Amino acid sequence: MTTTSNPLKIGILSFAHGHAQSYASEIGARPGAILAGVWDADAARGRAMAERYGTTFYPTEGDLLALGLDGVVVASENIHHRRLTELAADSGVKAVVSEKPLATTLEDARSMIDYCAARGVKLATAFPCRHSPAFARLREQVQAGALGDILAVRGTNRGTMPGGWFIDPPLSGGGAVIDHTVHVADLLWLLLGKEATEVHAEIGNSFYHEGYDDTGFLTIGYEGGVFATLDTSWSRPKTFPTWGDVTLQVVGTGGVMDLDMFGQQLEHYEDATGRVTWPGWGSSLDGALVDGFLKLCAGEDAPDIATGEDGLRALAIALAAYRAAEAKQVVTV
Amino acid sequence: MTYRVALVGAGNMGGWHATHWKRMEGIEIVGVLDPRQDAAAALGPAFSDWETMLATAKPDIIDICTPTPNHREYVERAAAAGKAIFVEKPLSRSIEDCEAIVAAVEKAGVPAMAGHVVRYFPEFAAAKKIIDEGGVGTPATVRTARLSGFPNITGRENWYANPDKSGGVVLDMILHDFDWLRWTFGPVTSVMAKGLFGSSRFDEGLDYALVTLRFASGVVGHVTGSWAHPSGFQTTFEVAGDKGLIAHDSLKSVSLSSSLRGAEGGRAAVIMPESPMIPNDDPYYQELKAFVQALRAGVTPPVTVYDALEAARIALAALESITTGKAVTL
Repeated sequence: MTTTSNPLKIGILSFAHGHAQSYASEIGARPGAILAGVWDADAARGRAMAERYGTTFYPTEGDLLALGLDGVVVASENIHHRRLTELAADSGVKAVVSEKPLATTLEDARSMIDYCAARGVKLATAFPCRHSPAFARLREQVQAGALGDILAVRGTNRGTMPGGWFIDPPLSGGGAVIDHTVHVADLLWLLLGKEATEVHAEIGNSFYHEGYDDTGFLTIGYEGGVFATLDTSWSRPKTFPTWGDVTLQVVGTGGVMDLDMFGQQLEHYEDATGRVTWPGWGSSLDGALVDGFLKLCAGEDAPDIATGEDGLRALAIALAAYRAAEAKQVVTV
Repeated sequence: MTYRVALVGAGNMGGWHATHWKRMEGIEIVGVLDPRQDAAAALGPAFSDWETMLATAKPDIIDICTPTPNHREYVERAAAAGKAIFVEKPLSRSIEDCEAIVAAVEKAGVPAMAGHVVRYFPEFAAAKKIIDEGGVGTPATVRTARLSGFPNITGRENWYANPDKSGGVVLDMILHDFDWLRWTFGPVTSVMAKGLFGSSRFDEGLDYALVTLRFASGVVGHVTGSWAHPSGFQTTFEVAGDKGLIAHDSLKSVSLSSSLRGAEGGRAAVIMPESPMIPNDDPYYQELKAFVQALRAGVTPPVTVYDALEAARIALAALESITTGKAVTL
């Protein structure tokens, strides 16, 4: 086990993705690790984040990686995941966790996996949803046979439109479909233990009428005939009480279970803002993700954490959805 | 004037219609046709033969509440006899039969209305009004769900369990959603569906379907149909547009909930949410009343058999998609 006398040194490459702040905070809260430094292509943002999380900003990736880090978090725009992951792997870290989606092409994702493997670096994909205690309970019940044979799953990962580089396809690789397919695709993999074989998708831009997709309704077929649908749309209006949701309706021969992953919420009516919000009070999923990642950085096993292969598998479904929408027909994954 | 109503079919829906006909002013039930004479007699003057009923009861309105496979036969008979027709949904089991029904009605020039009652459910009607008034801006996505256990009929044939007769959850139940969606968002251009219809699971008493729709307007829709929910009945919907969102969940939007002690004390025997309405606001009363009002005014009834044909077209395309594994273009 790691101790406070010899804490793991972790670096963060880019705060382009907002989740980086959550990871920084979770890392800082753990006695076995320190946030040794950060780099960001946006130096002003990097300095601000370094100050906020009590660490040092390094003006180049190389300066940060030269610290001899145990692990690196990559939270850049999607298009840069590969370059930054491979840079980190070259620096001799034990583990890299990349924000999701792992990459924007299967080629990039495969390269990241192979590059890390060749250097003995553990590559993880940031899939915090798989650490949800409600999902764990659902999966445990399914595996214990409480629902009999699983027949179908209806999933949603709806959200508010995130803006920024997320809606700039050259940086993000797409819109709502690439952003929101991968979480539930990963959950379905864990739940079913089967590979997706075919995908159909209706993709649109009717919410914001811009050059990126804000609507995605996927139909996914699995080995053995289980089927699922997934709504990835950025369909929550600005006035919606929370950011979005992750839900699964799992139908089996023995009954139905419904997961509302972030359903542990309060209702908050506030005159000062004129708004209603639903503040969550559930367990921190990012915290569980960081715990697993730190184990990898310490050279231990962390079987629960999503690997690069898991990230690739989920990405393949998102990319198949874009192909299916183009073809207006079912395509193979 | 008083309209003379003859019911064809004294099953669950026939009984429900009879309840509402009896409460309506200017309506008299003059005949009930059903081979089960006891069931027919419980609702009104019982008949076992169509011609006898027609000649004896002299109905103005034929209300067809038979199982789906018998709809075409009775619509054609009623149309040929020049009667006003109310026919339950689904219009029929095949496009050919649905088109024959529309043709028979048009040829006879009789008024006819189809029982797409969800248009008269107040929560669905209220949502449509808000959407039509721009309350969500331009609609972009819509999701509806209609969830229940597998339908059961005791004491006679459970025709719902026969896929060739009922068409399963897609044709019998979420057809309601397809009609409401088409009414609210216009024509559908593409249907992709997965479901248990046609599989051995259906024969085990399970049906579940997930249907994705593309509308000509660009709206993308998703409908969940379940006969795999062992507890209770639930409907949900959500419409999201570029300026807002409207949502409903029948299990949350209730006006009365009970938790009653069982005979043994302690454990609840039954927990039941309810949303009671004033009797005249009942959707079935409202749809029958709208039909009668159209007859009195001499105008086309608000839900035509053509509307019902188009809703069935979506449902049958979904069944085709389930069977072939491919998206179906309409």
